[in-house]
Amino acid sequence: MNRTKTNPIEATNTEIDRILATEQPLVPTSGFLASVMERVREEAAAPAPIPFPWKRALPGMVVAAGILGAGAFEFARHALPPAGELTLAVPQISVVALRPLEQVGWVALALGASLFSWKLSKRLAGRSGLL
Amino acid sequence: MQTASQRTAGEDLADVERVLRGETAAFEGIVRRWQGPLINMAWRYCRDRGRAEELAQEAFVRAWRGLAQWRREGSFSTWLFALAANVFRSELKRFPTVDLRLDEAPEPAAPATQHSALTRQQSSETVRRAVLALPARYREPVILFYFHEMDVTAAARTMGMPEGTLKARLSRARALLRSRFPHLEDRHAAVELGALGTGKEA
Repeated sequence: MNRTKTNPIEATNTEIDRILATEQPLVPTSGFLASVMERVREEAAAPAPIPFPWKRALPGMVVAAGILGAGAFEFARHALPPAGELTLAVPQISVVALRPLEQVGWVALALGASLFSWKLSKRLAGRSGLL
Repeated sequence: MQTASQRTAGEDLADVERVLRGETAAFEGIVRRWQGPLINMAWRYCRDRGRAEELAQEAFVRAWRGLAQWRREGSFSTWLFALAANVFRSELKRFPTVDLRLDEAPEPAAPATQHSALTRQQSSETVRRAVLALPARYREPVILFYFHEMDVTAAARTMGMPEGTLKARLSRARALLRSRFPHLEDRHAAVELGALGTGKEA
């Protein structure tokens, strides 16, 4: 612990300061050191956590991203009329064309959910000091 | 000649390197040196002796797991305290010990009724417990500022926030505590006035 007062000006010398600054230190119980070392030894003996298999997952993720990109391209191709045929009429999308679009939506949703859960777990692990 | 803190820093570095080479037993030196400060820090976060030891133990285990992440440019103690603060914060968020609002904190007895050292001790403990009832953003700066013996720099480093922010939060926290315990300030002023009258220092 740092025993020097680098900012003594902060000590405003009120009763509340006095109370909060003067506290009897606790002495660790006799078994504390042993129990910490026991847990550390257990941790050391446990097998290392399995790292995320990036090498295996990466091709799958690339394929998924490709499918998503292709789906988005198809969506744009089917949903939007060519520039020369722009009319005020609402473009009609056939039922056959809508089916793959529906699937693209689900894929996009699943990817989004995966990305969100990955980011969330990383953030939680970071907060808890694991990362 | 080496100072005590330089010697401790040297011992920490040596022990960390031994642990990283695979000597688990070397971690014992680190626990031996820092068990007192970490338990006392945890105590200030929860004011429950058993829980403080559990929290300190969890902090040591996390420190052991993350030892390789300590960058040598900062002191080991700063890294350890910052990690411990994170652990205490997240553990106490999961399982809070005190669920008390500041306006529900019991008021210490009025000065006229304070006869014994015991009563004074009890009212001091009430103020310390009231810190736990402060809103979270003000609570931690108070805990760490007094834990680090009123060192703003060390407290700010442990929290990973600018000193100015910490000072502002401390000031707000003090104002909240003063408004909750006006008797204490009155008593302090009375003691100081009395000392002026008799020519003694308060």
